[in-house]
Amino acid sequence: MPERDVCIIGGGMSRWGVREASIIDMAQEAAKECFDEVPALKKKDVDGLLFASSYCGRRSFQVNIAPVIAERIGIKPTSMCTRLDTLCAGGSSGIILATGLIKSGMADVVVVAGGEKLYTPQRWETYYSELASIDHDWDGAQGMGLPPPYFSMTAQEHMKRYGTTKEQLGAVSVKNRRNGSTNPKGHFQKAVTMEEVMASRVIVPPLSLFDCCPITDGCAAVLLTYEEKAKELTDRPLVYIRGTAQVSLHSMSMNWPGEHLADWLHLRTAAKRAYEMARVGPDDIDVAMTHDCFTISEIVEMEDLGFCKKGEGGPFVESGQSDFGGKLPVNTDGGLLSCGHPFGATGIRQAREMLHQLQGRAIRQVEGAEIGLTHNLSGLNVEHTILIYGREP
Amino acid sequence: MPVPGVPILDGKYPSSMDLYPLEAKEFNRIHQFYENLRQKRFTTTKCKKCGHVPFPPRVVCPKCNSDDLEWVDLPTQGKVLQFTEEVAGVPLGFEAPLIHALIDLGEGRKLVSRIINCKEGQLKEGDAVKLAVFDIPPMIIEKKGGVMDEAKRVFFAFEPVKR
Ligand SMILES: [Zn+2]
Repeated sequence: MPERDVCIIGGGMSRWGVREASIIDMAQEAAKECFDEVPALKKKDVDGLLFASSYCGRRSFQVNIAPVIAERIGIKPTSMCTRLDTLCAGGSSGIILATGLIKSGMADVVVVAGGEKLYTPQRWETYYSELASIDHDWDGAQGMGLPPPYFSMTAQEHMKRYGTTKEQLGAVSVKNRRNGSTNPKGHFQKAVTMEEVMASRVIVPPLSLFDCCPITDGCAAVLLTYEEKAKELTDRPLVYIRGTAQVSLHSMSMNWPGEHLADWLHLRTAAKRAYEMARVGPDDIDVAMTHDCFTISEIVEMEDLGFCKKGEGGPFVESGQSDFGGKLPVNTDGGLLSCGHPFGATGIRQAREMLHQLQGRAIRQVEGAEIGLTHNLSGLNVEHTILIYGREP
Repeated sequence: MPVPGVPILDGKYPSSMDLYPLEAKEFNRIHQFYENLRQKRFTTTKCKKCGHVPFPPRVVCPKCNSDDLEWVDLPTQGKVLQFTEEVAGVPLGFEAPLIHALIDLGEGRKLVSRIINCKEGQLKEGDAVKLAVFDIPPMIIEKKGGVMDEAKRVFFAFEPVKR
């Protein structure tokens, strides 16, 4: 069978936030919205399910969750039904794998879903479980599982080396919280001012409350299929998956691949590969969802994704280049800072927003957007994952 | 002590909640690292075939795939390149301030480690720090006949060198 072009045709999200719901409940909410977007689809047409969740084993006492989700949402997979875990990039990993399965003909119509129930009945377990997210025996045992300290060192390095300011970090938060204020599915719907950001309580210097994404419950789902089937199922403009990459160069705090903590060689490596596969460059990207787990992350990402020169990420965001009216709007739905970050769901949330952007029906629409990029970093910055979407294959 | 909500765990050791490595030789082939640590030695494995010295230690050389490895000592003193102090939101099992530092160990080796025995605001870039070894709670291993064996454990951090 010749290679097929792969399209994303529908997307859904549960409400995200501190939810009075289980992961199984939220997966049904997300799948419902996803199926509702593609009324022509019959559930028996769906032959695959990839479910991304890192914490269902730990916080929901449920491993092998994919068959449970399949049964609850009423599908009977015949090509693939599995869970995957790439922490913060799990959802994007699912989309990459589904693309490969559909491109090769091993699957036809795949639901990629994911999510987490991160809030446990007692708060200590919510935070304590975070220690499982990194190299357990070496870094977890050093108390490095909660990411603010590590990203504070990244921010310190960026400030020292390039003169980045706390206001420039704050500009990312103000932009993303403003974008998210009209997103009914996100954790927050409240814009914040620079004054509020600067006055917010310090988490780990130089990072304050509004520099950090919250802990969030939620699920998301998207539907992928091949081009001909997509034309049958939807009258909306087709959105193709054009380029992908996932790069891991080290595992623990000891073997950092860059020159310094604000030099993300693994991200540049991923970007090069994804751009080449998609046959585009950074200047061709009209809209991007990048992994703003911390404000400093989005600043470094602007640089190492090639949207601005190394060291100029601070002025780039401060001058509005990553906002509407600038070079390319970034995190148009609010990003992690406003939507929150239920790890396995985040890449799928990004894909859903990208689908809506490239189909011209986003809540905050980038006029004429044709090519978009989504990006995740995972864990203690140990992996970078990129997807490039386009209106053409 | 009874565990609320899960009374069946009364007196049981839930290793899936254990913050520290399962260091005992019954569970860990780099058990020797912790034995060396107990002697205040900071060690790793060196490949006898290609000479590669990765950290953390391995059971197989990641460069040449040889499993003929030997234990070698790493420096136990280094210099603070960068650090952070976490005062609020410190996870269970750690006390505030939770300090982490990027440490230059020399020989082209850097690592991020916890800094202990150090007050908030005391550490500075360039400060000398040295290996600190401390006892952590034992892991409880079920032996033949249901006998519970306490396997003692140590772990490490770094601490300021007193001036
Ligand atoms: Zn070797």
